[in-house]
Amino acid sequence: MTRSGRFLLWSGIVALCAWVLVPIYLIGVGAFGGRAAAFRWPKGILPVNTSLDQILVFLRIEGVANAAMNSLIAAGLTMLFSLLLGAPAGYALARFSFRGADAFRLMVLLTRAFPLAILALPLTVIFIKTGLYDTPLGVSLVHTALALPFATLVTAGLFQGIPREFEEAAWVFGCTRFQAIRKVVLPLALPGLAASAVFAFVISWNEVFAASVLTVRERTLTAYLLTVLSESPIHYRFAGGFILIVPSIVFIFAVRRYLFALWGVTSR
Amino acid sequence: MMKFDLIRGTALVAALVAGVATVRPAAAQELVFLSTQLRPVDEAQKVRDVLLKGAPKTVYVVDEPSPFTVRMKAETESGKRTISLVGALHGELQPLAPLGALDTIDDVAAKLGDRGIPASLMELGKLGTGKQVYIPWMQATYVMVVNKKALAHLPAGANVETLTYKQLADWGKALAEKTGSRRIGFPAGPKGLFPRFLQGNLYPSYTGSMVTEFRSAEAETMWNDFKALWTTVNPNASSYDFMQEPLMGGEVWVAWDHIARVKDALQAAPNDYIVVAPPAGPKGRSYMPVIAGLAITKGAPDRAGAAAVIEHLTKPGTQVLTAAEVGFFPVVNATLPADLSPGVKLLAEGIAKTQTAKDAVVALLPVGLGDKGGEFNKVYLDTFQRIVLRNEPVRATLDAQAEVMRGIINGVKAPCWAPDKASDGPCPVK
Repeated sequence: MTRSGRFLLWSGIVALCAWVLVPIYLIGVGAFGGRAAAFRWPKGILPVNTSLDQILVFLRIEGVANAAMNSLIAAGLTMLFSLLLGAPAGYALARFSFRGADAFRLMVLLTRAFPLAILALPLTVIFIKTGLYDTPLGVSLVHTALALPFATLVTAGLFQGIPREFEEAAWVFGCTRFQAIRKVVLPLALPGLAASAVFAFVISWNEVFAASVLTVRERTLTAYLLTVLSESPIHYRFAGGFILIVPSIVFIFAVRRYLFALWGVTSR
Repeated sequence: MMKFDLIRGTALVAALVAGVATVRPAAAQELVFLSTQLRPVDEAQKVRDVLLKGAPKTVYVVDEPSPFTVRMKAETESGKRTISLVGALHGELQPLAPLGALDTIDDVAAKLGDRGIPASLMELGKLGTGKQVYIPWMQATYVMVVNKKALAHLPAGANVETLTYKQLADWGKALAEKTGSRRIGFPAGPKGLFPRFLQGNLYPSYTGSMVTEFRSAEAETMWNDFKALWTTVNPNASSYDFMQEPLMGGEVWVAWDHIARVKDALQAAPNDYIVVAPPAGPKGRSYMPVIAGLAITKGAPDRAGAAAVIEHLTKPGTQVLTAAEVGFFPVVNATLPADLSPGVKLLAEGIAKTQTAKDAVVALLPVGLGDKGGEFNKVYLDTFQRIVLRNEPVRATLDAQAEVMRGIINGVKAPCWAPDKASDGPCPVK
């Protein structure tokens, strides 16, 4: 690579990293910097008079721990349901040609075509009647509906990318259809499945409206905090923002190996 | 094999999570208090820690107005209640009454007879039904904050406590001439509450109406007067959102705004300011109270508990705490303590002066407009901009804007609200 080429490459890398990391860093500085630092302008690059006070104040707010637990449950269930329902649908789309396959591809997107605000009232009424109201399970069902199109279409593309011949070879060696899927296709599809799991998790974690309409006491963290953050003093916003992004970052770090594999970087 | 661990791991976690989700015991019938007020985290926490102390055990939950309405409707339709007690603005409770979401609480009202809640406020709480639907909880309003330096230039014969719009204009002129800059301010910025001034203060003071007389001859006079007044208003007004900043900066000496939006200035320098009622016009001294009420849902899981919480929150002691902690003021007859911070005390005095003025007229926040509230506000703002800022002819502008207003009101079929007289159908724009 030429000198200038390398320079361009590295400056690109730095710019992209800064794009993501600087805001997160500033939120972190604000969250640990105390009230005075939050109002200071221009902002310092280094944290000053760091303290855990705001974060602790935040964590001590009644119900935050419970809300965080609910968020994890809802996001976990969303991840599970959307994979359980989405992956078989994706496999069917990729492997079988059946009448209405194209229509199905399109229809599956329709769950995202109606704004939740319109569906909210009838949905809430049904949830109350069936006892799903105010449970993380109920929230995760709605979030699954939102995440399902992604799960289905992403996994369809994924299975399409795995040659049919691999499966046929497995059958030749005596595997049943399901054994072939389990032993040959799934290991190859794993990074992609992880990616759609991440999508599902993030969709559920970030969704506010359904989560706040469908729950009262068992709020998810986002619904519990986000709606009130914009009206709170600025130092609280930093602390709340920090608490909201940390779990996502931790989760993505945990599955990064599979994401890299998906993007063609060798997994180490 | 590593890769299968992920699948197994995910499945395990999910199974655990599902287990936890299903074995959680259904919460016992507890008292849930849902509120659209006092939402910011610090205020909500004060409600839980301070204001509800001594009340039956309560789960305090907050909601934004739009999910609040959806939830109340859904719980009414399905007939299963989670929420026992609601706290919301008058305008947010009003649409719930015809749905049958709220219980009548004459029995609770009867027990509160000794609290000294003004009859006019209790009447609002009936929402025109003849039965008590909500109990007034706390209030705020819009006031005038005056820097004491401005008092020296008050026009002859004018009393700052009983100002008229005419005198305000003269005062503004005197201030501009003597100090070299325009010292009157309105929050006419993008997030300012200026439309509330036009709806709640200016229009009713001149026409005795907010909607019906929108294009009347009185309104024409009003706009001509206000145009003259505007020549003495600080030209930066179109960028003011909260008046506390220009007040603290000394740019503005006489300002109109919501009490919560001038609080910082008053607390920073309580000795520099006085707070007075807004000016009066030919039809009286109109002001817009912002009233939050407490209501009990129909079929509430814990009606007795909810009633007890209402009793607790309307105790003079709790009301005083509310003022001191979150800056919303008592609706009951409560003496604010002497050690109230001086800024809050000024606000309290301002509210008292506004409400007890001899010529006071009450103008309510728009009611029943639903999501058209923003468009309704825009009618007033557009009219102001066309007449005052762009110098368009008053009569023609009023006629054109009245047409827009009619469209909005008829679209949502909103009946009249005070100070307009009750109407059967949509509120007419004459």
